[in-house]
Formats: sequence, structure tokens, C-alpha cells
Amino acid sequence: MAQQDLKPSINSFSFPKTLKLKTKQQELLIRVATLALIYVLAFITRLFSVLRYESMIHEFDPYFNYRTTLFLTRNGFAEFWNWFDSESWYPLGRIIGGTLYPGLMLTAAAIHSLLRFLRLFVHIREVCVLTAPFFASNTTLVAYFFAKEVWDSGAGIVAAALIAICPGYISRSVAGSYDNEGVAIFALLLTFYLFVKAVNTGSLAWALGSAFGYFYMVSAWGGYVFIINLVPLYVLVLLVTGRYSLRLYVAYNCMYVLGMLLAMQIRFVGFQHVQSGEHMAAMGVFFLLQVFFFLDWVRHLLSDTKLFQSFLKITVTSAVTVGAVALGVGMASGYISPWTGRFYSLLDPTYAKDHIPIIASVSEHQPTAWSSFMFDFHILLFLFPAGLYFCFKRLSDATIFLVMYGLTSMYFAGVMVRLILVATPAMCLISAIAVSATIKNLTRVVRAKSPAVQSGSTKGTSTAKSSSKGVIDNSQPFQRNGAIVLLLGAFYLLSRYAIHCTWVTSEAYSSPSIVLAARGAHGQRVIFDDYREAYYWLRQNTPQDAKVMSWWDYGYQITAMGNRTVIVDNNTWNNTHIATVGRAMSSYEDEAYEIMRSLDVDYVLVVFGGVTGYSSDDINKFLWMVRIGGGVFPVIKEPDYLVNGEYRVDKGAAPKMLNCLMYKLSYYRFGELTTEYGKPPGYDRARGVEIGNKDIKLEYLEEAFTTQNWIVRIYKVKPPKNRW
Amino acid sequence: MSKLIFIFLFLAFIPLLCTSFTPERPSDRRVLVLLDDFAVKSSHSLFFNSLKSRGFDLHFHLADDPKIALQRYGQYLYDALILFSPTVERFGGSVDAAAILDFVDSGHDLIVAADTNASDLIREIATECGVDFDEDPAAMVVDHSGYAASATEGDHTLIASDDFIKSDVILGSKKIEAPILFQGIGHSLNPTNRLVLKALSASPSAFSANPKSKLTSPPSLTGSSISLVSVIQARNNARILVSGSLSMFSNRFFRSGVQKAGSPTKHEKSGNEQFFTELSKWVFHERGHLKALQLQHHKVGESSEPSIYRINDDLEFSVEIFEWSGTSWEPYVADDVQVQFYMMSPYVLKTLSTNGKGRYFTSFKVPDVYGVFQFKVEYEKLGYTSLSLSKQIPVRPFRHNEYERFIPAAYPYYGAAFSMMAGFFVFTAVHLYNK
Amino acid sequence: MARSSSKDAQDLFRALWSAYAATPTNLKIIDLYVMFAVFTALIQVVYIALVGSFPFNSFLSGVLSCVGTAVLAVCLRIQVNKENKEFKDLAPERAFADFVLCNLVLHLVIMNFLG
Repeated sequence: MAQQDLKPSINSFSFPKTLKLKTKQQELLIRVATLALIYVLAFITRLFSVLRYESMIHEFDPYFNYRTTLFLTRNGFAEFWNWFDSESWYPLGRIIGGTLYPGLMLTAAAIHSLLRFLRLFVHIREVCVLTAPFFASNTTLVAYFFAKEVWDSGAGIVAAALIAICPGYISRSVAGSYDNEGVAIFALLLTFYLFVKAVNTGSLAWALGSAFGYFYMVSAWGGYVFIINLVPLYVLVLLVTGRYSLRLYVAYNCMYVLGMLLAMQIRFVGFQHVQSGEHMAAMGVFFLLQVFFFLDWVRHLLSDTKLFQSFLKITVTSAVTVGAVALGVGMASGYISPWTGRFYSLLDPTYAKDHIPIIASVSEHQPTAWSSFMFDFHILLFLFPAGLYFCFKRLSDATIFLVMYGLTSMYFAGVMVRLILVATPAMCLISAIAVSATIKNLTRVVRAKSPAVQSGSTKGTSTAKSSSKGVIDNSQPFQRNGAIVLLLGAFYLLSRYAIHCTWVTSEAYSSPSIVLAARGAHGQRVIFDDYREAYYWLRQNTPQDAKVMSWWDYGYQITAMGNRTVIVDNNTWNNTHIATVGRAMSSYEDEAYEIMRSLDVDYVLVVFGGVTGYSSDDINKFLWMVRIGGGVFPVIKEPDYLVNGEYRVDKGAAPKMLNCLMYKLSYYRFGELTTEYGKPPGYDRARGVEIGNKDIKLEYLEEAFTTQNWIVRIYKVKPPKNRW
Repeated sequence: MSKLIFIFLFLAFIPLLCTSFTPERPSDRRVLVLLDDFAVKSSHSLFFNSLKSRGFDLHFHLADDPKIALQRYGQYLYDALILFSPTVERFGGSVDAAAILDFVDSGHDLIVAADTNASDLIREIATECGVDFDEDPAAMVVDHSGYAASATEGDHTLIASDDFIKSDVILGSKKIEAPILFQGIGHSLNPTNRLVLKALSASPSAFSANPKSKLTSPPSLTGSSISLVSVIQARNNARILVSGSLSMFSNRFFRSGVQKAGSPTKHEKSGNEQFFTELSKWVFHERGHLKALQLQHHKVGESSEPSIYRINDDLEFSVEIFEWSGTSWEPYVADDVQVQFYMMSPYVLKTLSTNGKGRYFTSFKVPDVYGVFQFKVEYEKLGYTSLSLSKQIPVRPFRHNEYERFIPAAYPYYGAAFSMMAGFFVFTAVHLYNK
Repeated sequence: MARSSSKDAQDLFRALWSAYAATPTNLKIIDLYVMFAVFTALIQVVYIALVGSFPFNSFLSGVLSCVGTAVLAVCLRIQVNKENKEFKDLAPERAFADFVLCNLVLHLVIMNFLG
């Protein structure tokens, strides 16, 4: 396969006959070895988390994925597909099979059964932990082929190397981060690569491959909407710029029809491709292409331009009318659903904040700060424009695609933090073109005088060797020295990038967030394992059918680790239900008790960081609970919890704040505790204030369990009074 | 550390909660009687003898006896408690108000008799049960029209009352003809308490005041809001009787004749004996105790209970309800037992039909809604123990292969798809041949 | 005006027809096949407008099988047409093999989706 792919690029360079075989083999060997090293590197750089902590699942959503994968491996596909989960969203339940993207679980289960087939008996958890790094490695290969298709194999190698360690991607694919995105980026890049390949060759087979890539992407992640909008946009741009070709027609039509049909097999997506507003662009472009093709064909048949003009007029008018009527009828009859809130919030970053608090409340849905761009991309951030320059300089169908992918995804990355992930491959590819092209030009200058000078860099090797023929008239005196300095500078930058990436990976992105680490007073590492302590407590000490109420962030973890029924979880599909929980948390205890009784709640779980200084606890999320609760139940009003628009928990806090359930549960018995030397008892370290209500009495709940560092506190809902 | 202790305590309570009622024989057997004075044992012997004759094992102790204990090694020693010690300020041993309330909350029965000058301790216990005695310690219930015509003329604190609670379950099916003699302190019911009931009310002309002093301000308790004897059935079905008079239980009151003022009929014997015999039967669970068994449900045509239902399944539901007759379990027959199929609100509410042998049954269709449902039987009827059964059952939507197939309306589409396939083969053949 | 435009249209179709007559036979066969598919699709659209969209998945699979067939056939037509210089490199045999492959996938998915 590799041999075949190398052919065209090698053939284009004319080597001396005697050297040909040897150089080619050397070049191939180095390239394959480099790719193999990058493949391994991409895997092992993601193992920091396993070394630092242990082989465990991270964060929130991965616990759901893990739980479903476990179910899949135990009960088989048919059960999984039809799984009705009664343990979450009590009492509504959730149709798991119809409301998830099964790609990730199926992938992990397939890997697991393959390993078992090979007589390697590993636990499914290990497979889940290592799925994301494995797919990150595969992504480097796809990136190589993609950049090779767009530019050349040198750029391919650079792209593979850049994406292997790019923090923007690592943040979502460290070992243990068993989330959809882990495989979805692979699928995304694969789809794009195969589509570009299909456009370049006009082959049905590549288009079919691209449709399968799309199918995998749809099965893995909701981000497939990006593909189904970017590809038609690309086609439209090519049409407008007059680069329409029959290859494009073949590639797009085959990919769209088959991809759509395949995507409909995923239950969660279902008929959306023909019903939801987000997918209409693709359909519109599909019809547009048919009209365009038909006109083109007729023009080809007709030699008479005047006749064609009249024909054109009729066809275009009728096509536009039919299209507009169809769209209008579809919209008006509600057959085509309007755009969803998430989609709106992508186009208009302020939309969610005003209309959908539940989307705005998630930290990864916030607009991106400049610092996190710098953090995640580092030098790619200024290599990106350079790469764009090179792309424009050598404009082709493929580079146009890359440019559009880069620009749109950069925009989305600016709108939402989590979409940095989508932009990362584009950044890496375009930057790789910049790096590759620059180094190639520079080495050409360097080698023009003395071909003996070897750059020694693997990245430069292939391009350096292939440019032995390059003849550049050396008109400027210091050009060579300048080139060497620039080369050194480039290597310095790239090495800084490597160092930065490693540092970020080890320090920032390898934390499982379910186990917290901090530096103690003497610099030693302190581990807070309170979450798991609490979940295991739940598993061991509560009745099998106990219902646990918590804010939705912890729902997946409670069901997966505590094995208990939860009221709401991270799949935020039912706003009312979440709002009910938000209302309970922000009401007075007696009102909350009524709500909890109506939901059959047995235990309430809150996360509290006042002792450890852990800042993403429930008190800091509390205003979102108020907003979400208030969005459905107008009884809850945000100003009641604020003092002069200020959110505080100390003596100056609003009276309702000081007596609402969340405050009471978080700070119960906290007033007796001295958290920090030299501070009064009840000093909240997460917010740096002394709390305002130290004398908290609970009437309807009783403390059941508090973890070692008070991070998780579990309360039992008392049964109704016996004698009243 | 305190948390651990708390948890242990809590865990220690769980078996207690479960075993406090012997499900097989709900009637109490061992009764602790706490007295102010052993004289009461003989002066109230009729009442005690009626209990003994019904098989109760009475243990008499002075209320301040330092050896009394309600529980030992976490086990309660008694099934019921009679407090005939209205003036006791402190119990002996480890017993205090909280211990007695815990005793009740773990499912045991209690009879409290107060009197004028009832101690704070007794008042506290009563208050916790939703009964508030008149705050004036010397107050008595006075009724200038409903008094019992008797020897001491002018003393209207001895009341003859016949305003009973209307429940055959509590007071027995035999009508109590004679009025009840009462002399003691009145109480009112806490309006926020939904469980407490007036078993014997004062007449509208009654009021509560100190008879020895002159009435300076309007009495705090007046009319029929004054309760003379109250009963409470707690949520765990423990039963409590609170009386404002200890002498009501005495042999003297049991035996004395009664004539209500202004009433021509003179009864040879007051209603007290019948009243308290029947009432104690109720309090000690000899009557009005229901149990539900065998809550079963299954699909129509099947017999085993599924772990999950599908929407629109037809199911059959049954439950068996028995009543304790004091000696054996008899089938309970009623036409008002209902079952709910409940998820946040009842989706199905059906009255169960019975076969007269204790079995109640119905059948219905699972609603077209999926979720975690509960079969709920909530049966609360005056005098009977409340039944609150629920059984959780998830209801799932259709599986992917349970939807209707081969719909006639879709035949053209099938035809189109297959004709395309056929067309593909024909085309392939023609295309290849043509080349 | 109307007469002249109808005459124009007549001219147009006559011109088209004469130009089309020169197409090679194998392309004509493909065109016939495409027409068949499009026609079947149209029938189904009319049918759903009359009957209502109850078994929506069946409708979609029926229509999409026609659309897919048509589109794939057009792609094949483009690729085997000798006038299209873009596809010089692509052997007609290879094009046909791709076409068969895509059709197999299409019909397998349709079968899955139909029920």
C-alpha cells in the first residue's frame, strides 16, 4: 500500500539512473521508520495519565461510555441496541440505544473481542482506557496521507508529527479519556481525506470510502454536522469560483447519497438528514449539483448558444421556484425542524447565554480565551497563516478544501472551547505545509552550494534529498547563511513546540479530574480520591434501588461507579427534569423536601470544595442551577440569591442564599471546622471567605456520609415524620 | 468518628424497624405498665384484668423504678407501654420521653393517661403525638349541661359524654349505649397533625378551666374542639391512645351508673368499660390490622413476573389483603381498594375487584409511555392500618424488531426497492453484453 | 409571444434530440436506466403525497434506492464517456467495478432500512 502511494511523488522527480533505486529505498525506509516512530510517540505521550495516576476512566461522559461498553460486551449487540436504562433519569428512564452515538462503544468492544480472539485476555476497562491513544496514533497516519494528498509526503510527515503531540488534540485523547471525540477526530480526518482523494481522482471507490468514513463519524460523534455542512459549502465554493468538475460531481453525489443512507442506520440520527435544518444545506447542494450537471450536459449537446440561453432561463426559474416552494412548505408544516439551540449558539456565540442556560452552563461551551489558543496550539498559531499563504500560492481543489476546513474550524474554535479539537487537525495540516515548504526552500538554498551539508533532521530529509536538482541562482550574498540561521530558528521553534506539548500533556491534560492532585505544604503530591470514596460508599451502603439526586454533572459517575439510580445525568436531554433538580437545590429545605419526595429521592449528593479549595464545586455552579431552575419555574429568581448583583456566601449574602438547600448541604457542620491556620472556623478556602451561616440545622435530611476531604457529601432524605 | 457512630446506630435500627411488628401475630403480647403508685393496680384492676384475660402479659412497675428499661441489647423488651403515671417528673432507669417516642417510632403501641396536674414529661410526650393539654395545670373540663348527674351536686367536672368517633373498627361494632364518665384535663389536637383523631369529644357546652378559681378570662379551650380521649395511628401503624383522665379507667368509673344531666335515662353501668375494652383492642392491634401479601403482576397469559414491561402490554395485577381478627388472619373484603400505575402521577388508577377470599385483582394495559413505573396500593381507611405498597417496574419502548413489519401502505416502496435491484442486475447484464 | 416561445421550445427539443441521437449506445442504455430510476422515484413521491408518510423509513429507502441508483448510474456514465477528458486514466472496467461495489453497498443498506 505504502509502496503504491509513493510512486507518483517519486516519479515526478528525475534522479540520475544509477542513484535511483538506492535513494528511493533509503527515502522510503526513513519515511516509514519516521512514521512508525511518530505512531508510537503519539501513543506513549498519551500515557502520562496512566503513569501519574492509574489506568482509570476520566471525567464525566467517559463513565457513561464505559458503562455502556461494559453492557455491550456482556449482553451483546442486540441488547445494547435496544437497551432501556431505568437507572438514569429516574423515573423517566432513557433509551440508551436510541440516544447515543454507538461508534465508540462498538469500536472498543470490537477491539476487545479481537484481543480475546488472539487469546489476550484483558479487561474491557483497559481497552477503553487505551482506545483514545490508539486512535490518536491512527490519526497521525491519516494526517500523513491527507497532507501528502494535498501537498507532498514531506508535509505529510510534518503533519503527522505535529498532530501526534498537539495539545489541542491530546486534551481529548489521553489514556482514560474514553470519549466520542477520541475516535471522532480520526473519523473526521479520514472522511475528509477520502473525500479529497475522491475529488482528486473522481473515483466512485474513494467516494464510497469517504461515505463509510462519514458513517463512522456519524456513529461516533454529533460533530458530524460539521462535515455535512463543510462539504457542501466546499462544493458551493468550487461552483462559484468556476472550479466545478465532473470529478467533484461524482465524489459529492456518491458520498452524499450513500453517506446519508448509511447515517440513517444510526438510530440517534435517524431521519435528521432529511428533516432537520442543519442538514438541509447538503441536500440543497445535492439538487443544485444535479441542475448544474444537467445544464452543463445540455450545453454540451447544444451547439446553439441562443437556444441554450432560453433553455437556461426556463430551467433555472423552475428549479429555483420548486426549491423555494419545497423549502417553504417543509418549514411551514414543521416537517423540516428549525435549527437547534446548539447550532444557533455556534453561529451566534451570545445566543446560548440569553436563551439556553443549560448549554451556557457547561464550561467547555464557553467562548475560547486567547490564552487557551496559545496553550493548545503554541507555534501552530502563527504557522497557520503562513500555511494559508502557501495554500493560496498553490491553489488546487485539495488546498481549497484544506483552507476552508481551517478557516471554518478556526471560527468554531473561537466560539466554543471544545471545538478547538475540530480545528486542531486543520491547524496541524496547514502548519505542516508551512513548515515543510519553508524548510524545503531553505534547504534548497543551503544545498545549492554544498550538497554535502546535511540538515540531520528527519523532517527535512525527504525534502532535502528530493531537492538536489533544485537550481537557484544565488544573487544575494548572505542568502546561504541567512537560510542556515532561519533553518536553525525553525528547528528551535519546533523543539520549543515539542517541549511545550510534552509539558502541557504531563501537567495539564493528564488529570483524570475524578482524582484530584495538589501540592502539599512541602511540595509533595497530595491525592484527593474523594469522588471514588463517595461512589463506593454509595455502592456498598445504600439499598440497591436507592435514588440519588445530585447536580447533573455527577450523574454518569454515580450510575457507573456507584451503581445507583440518578435523577438527572450528563445527557441533558430533558430540561424540565434538570430544572426540577435545580429548583430543589435552590429552594428552602421544606419546599425541597416536597420535590424530593415527589421524585422518590433517597440520597442527595453535593460536591463541596470549601475544605480543600477545590473550586469547581456545587456552590460555584449554583447560579447555573438557579438559572436553569428559574428558566422553567419562575418561582426561582436569580436576584434573590445575589446581593447587588454579587454572588457571595459570607455574612453579606442574600438571606435566601444562606438558607437554600444547596447552601445548607454544602456548609452543614462546616462552621465548626477550622480549615486554615489563622483563619476563623468556617473559612471557605475555595472562595476565600468566612461563611455567613454557621449554625445550620437540617430538618428533613440527615448527613449520611462525608468523604475524607469533604469534597463529596451525601445526605439521606428522612422518611416523613412518623407521628405527624 | 461521630459519623461512624451515627451510621452504626442507624444500621442497628434497621433490623429493629423490620422486626418490631411480628408480621404473623400483630397483637401485642408483653405490656409494660408504669404507675405512679401501686394502688392503681388494684383500683384499676377491671381494666387490667380485661387485658390479662385477652392474653396480655402485663409487667407493672413504678414509673421511677430505676430498673425499668424498654430495651436491652438493642431489642425491645415490650410490645406496648401503658403510662398510668400522670404526675411522674422523671422516669427511672434509662427511660425518658425520647426513649418512649423512639419506642413508638419503632412500631410499638402506647396508652397515655394524663390527669389534672399532669407532669411536664407526660405533656411533652403527648405534644409529640399531636395532643396539646390545657396549659393551666389545674384546669379541668367543665360542662354545665353535659355533666353526669351524681351525688355531688354542683360539681360539673364529672362529665358524661357520648360524642364518640364514628368508626366501628376503632370502637367495635356493638354500639356503646351508655355515656362515658370523664373527669380530668382536656386537650386539643394540633391542627398540623393529620394523624390524630378525637375518639371522645366534649360537648359544645364544655370548656376547660380551673373549677376552683373564678373565671377571669375566656377559657382557652372550649366546646367540642376539646378532646377527651384521642387516638393516633402513626405512619408506621403504631397506635397511641391519649386520655385526659386516669380515673376513666378506674374500677369506680367502670362500675358506676350514669345519668346524663337533663336526660331521663339512667344507665346502670357507664360506658367506660366497653369503651376502653374496645379501644384497647384497637390500640393493641387486635382489630383493624391489615396486611397485604403477594403483590403480583404478570402479563396476560403468563404467570411469572417479568422484570420489565413493554409499552402497551396487557398485564394482570393482584394483591392479597387479610385482616387480623385477634386470633387469626381473615380475608379482608372491601370494594374500595385501588391500584395506581404511577410515574410522577398515576397513569392508571383502577379499583380492584375481590374474590372474597382476600385476593384483589384487576387487569389493564400499560400506558404508551416508557419510564420507571410503580404499582402502588395506598389504602388508608379510618381505623385500619394504612397499607402502602409499591413495587417498581420499568416500562420499556418497543425493541427495534418489535415494530410492525410489511405494512400494506409501504408495498409500493418495497416494490420500488426491489425493482431497482432487479434493474441493477438487468442493467449489469446489458451493459456488459453491450461492450 | 406564446406561439413563438412554444416554437422556441419545439426548436429546442428538436435540436436536443438530434444532438442526443449521436450518443453511443452504451450511454443510451445508461440513460434509459437513469430514466427508469427517476421515474420510479417520482411515482413514489406522488404516492406519499396521496397516502401520507406513515412508514417513513420505507419511503425513504424506496426513494433513496432510486435516487442512489440514478446518481451512481450518472457517475458511471460520466466515467465511461470517452468525451470526458478528466477520466482518461480511469479504465472503464475499473469504473464499472466501482459502480458495482457502490450498488452492492447501496442495496444492502436499503434492505436493512426497508423493514
